[in-house]
Amino acid sequence: MSQPESHPLSKEALAEFRADVANWLEANCPLSQRQPIVREEQIWGGRRRVFPSSDAQQWFEACRDRGFTAPEWPVEYGGAGLDPEEAKVLKQEMTRLGCRPPLYCQGLWMLGPALLVYGNEAQKREHLTAICRGEIRWAQGYSEPSAGSDLANLKTKAEDCGDHFLVNGTKIWTTKADEADWIFCLVRTSDVTPKQAGISFLLIDMATEGVSTSPIPLISGESEFCQTFFDNVKVPKTNLVGELNGGWAVAKELLKHERKMMSAFEGMLEKPAMELLELADYAVGSDAQGRLNDAELRSDMSRHLMREAALGQLGERIYWQGKAKQVDPRLPLLMKHLGTSEAQAKDELILRALGDEGLSMEDPNVSPGLRKMVKQWAFNKSLTIAGGTSEVQLNIIAKRALGMPSGEGKS
Amino acid sequence: MILNEEQALLRETVAQFFNEKAPISELRSLAGASDEQGYDLQLWSEMVELGFPGITVPEVYDGLEFGWMGLGTIAQEAGRCLVASPLLSSVVLSQNLLLNCGSDAQITTYLPSLMSGEATATVALDEGRFFNPDAVAMSDASGTLNGQKDRVLDAGQSAYIFCIAEQASGERGVALVESSAEGVSIESRRTMDLHSSASIRLDGVPAADIVWLTGYDVASGIQKTIDQATIALSAEMMGSAREVLERTVAYLGEREQFDVKLGTFQALQHRCAHMYCELELAESAVSAALTALDHAAPNIGLLASSAKALANDCFTLISSEAVQLHGGMGVTEEMDIGLFLKRSRVCNQLLGSSSYHRDRYARLIGF
Repeated sequence: MSQPESHPLSKEALAEFRADVANWLEANCPLSQRQPIVREEQIWGGRRRVFPSSDAQQWFEACRDRGFTAPEWPVEYGGAGLDPEEAKVLKQEMTRLGCRPPLYCQGLWMLGPALLVYGNEAQKREHLTAICRGEIRWAQGYSEPSAGSDLANLKTKAEDCGDHFLVNGTKIWTTKADEADWIFCLVRTSDVTPKQAGISFLLIDMATEGVSTSPIPLISGESEFCQTFFDNVKVPKTNLVGELNGGWAVAKELLKHERKMMSAFEGMLEKPAMELLELADYAVGSDAQGRLNDAELRSDMSRHLMREAALGQLGERIYWQGKAKQVDPRLPLLMKHLGTSEAQAKDELILRALGDEGLSMEDPNVSPGLRKMVKQWAFNKSLTIAGGTSEVQLNIIAKRALGMPSGEGKS
Repeated sequence: MILNEEQALLRETVAQFFNEKAPISELRSLAGASDEQGYDLQLWSEMVELGFPGITVPEVYDGLEFGWMGLGTIAQEAGRCLVASPLLSSVVLSQNLLLNCGSDAQITTYLPSLMSGEATATVALDEGRFFNPDAVAMSDASGTLNGQKDRVLDAGQSAYIFCIAEQASGERGVALVESSAEGVSIESRRTMDLHSSASIRLDGVPAADIVWLTGYDVASGIQKTIDQATIALSAEMMGSAREVLERTVAYLGEREQFDVKLGTFQALQHRCAHMYCELELAESAVSAALTALDHAAPNIGLLASSAKALANDCFTLISSEAVQLHGGMGVTEEMDIGLFLKRSRVCNQLLGSSSYHRDRYARLIGF
């Protein structure tokens, strides 16, 4: 990043910054934008963006003009140029007031940070600014029908045609690609082995002739994901990020930022219609001593609550190990598998508790809040598949945490 | 666990001590002893010399006041070697019951002899087949104490027995009797983990031979002690579970079949990875509970029940899988793996099974 060398700010300067930011947020964040965010009101930006309300637009524009949509990016690319300490203060103050994130965008969380490292000056100027200003919405083109867990097996081909690449192939699980303007893709530019060494990172304007996209209906009745097709799509060579055949490194950089940025938004989402205990009491009832009428459900709920608490304690353990400089590098490897499995266990408890009311996603006689939980149950089956399946996680744990020998397949 | 410098040093010292003085072969040698003997006296006196009995005792009572994380460290290392000692029965259960339920005079009368190793004590809590501290039939009727207690750890070697019993007033109390008192009969047995515990009958133990603890709040003192011991036992179980998982992973890395190391098979890798996830999840709950004891956190009952239920399930899983993954060797008496399996099942019943703790957790939360 082209930022000045970090010089730790004095306590006084940081306190001054905090007061300044707090005042600014008070003055610029409308009260309606300090409520927990619901999915329908998230602002995703893009050529076809619509604001859910004039308050939302006002809040977005205020942040955009101050660079707060991307607080840590350099000012010349549309960010606020904050150092990490200042960015932390901003986040704390926004959390304290309950301010909604002003902009949601895969460009913000994933592409941008990778462009800051691997992009050239022209790419940074063109794309980072458009991302911060919410003008372009990005989709991610990684997986393919034959390249899921084995991502390096991807086949979408970019053929060198002098001043441009000719792209042919298809990308799957492209989140909201039907609403995106541009897509960043991993494409095959060479057939060398290992397969990772023949992959390049390409930016493609989805308005280009030959790009088409169609939604994939899911078992939850929703269709957040799409399949995107590339049929003789001409992509200017200037859209190559990093080295030719050096796309794997860019992709890895990008994944590093994905989790970090996403975690910033966790806990700001709307609460479910009912908490688990309340829901179980509502659905199965309790006896005179306050014990749930379904003894097995009650026991399984205890087990789940204990494990959920233990997951939090594992997270705290990792945090304090970092603080105490006694890091056990094995522990973070466990979080994805444990966390997603437990989330699914909770969904199963909800479905069991709901009984008849859990049997339809559309029944108008069931409250929308409960129907949402049933949809969530179905949607969350993707948690143990997306972002590295549980099986891949177990492979990694066996090899890297337990040091078990390689053999059989590679992953 | 996150240890400070002193705790890390303690861990190193303790690990070395148990590896040298109490390898599993020492536990095996108990098989030939009389049923009353649950541990080796020489080993115990060396543990006393290292100061183990005073580890959590406040400085005002001449303890080390080193905290529960320190004790948890010792328990874990003991678990790794399946050490049989009065650490749970005398140090954790008896000493803390005295500290939590006794008057200052009672503490200063009995604690020094326990801390110096001159005597050991045990706590008689369970009655019947399962752990259920809410159901106590032992009672003081017409001035004498009567009833039966089960799974009283190390009773055959204990000078004192702290009996949880109903007082004449109807309130729950702690009756201290000497094991040699009139009317006390002790029937020891060796459980399959090679430790010793006993069923105890009290038949008209005269009032003159009973000391009722008269501290500030005896009822909550009893519960507090049970929670402390539950957490300490959970820590010991985590040490055993970690040891037996490490032994299993190492075995799979050596043993060859079909011309390859067994550890290269993905089916086996996934089972080990799953066990490791469960191990660290339970370890996190136990570690949080130990920390909470050191900070006198208010929700200790929830944390203790969580820790024990997770430790039970985790150690049960890992010890069963360890036998299976050791193949034929796993079911031989020669390998130590079977001892971990047996110890795990005994630990499950001590201070509450997973069903007990899941029920208690729900009760405490209110569902």
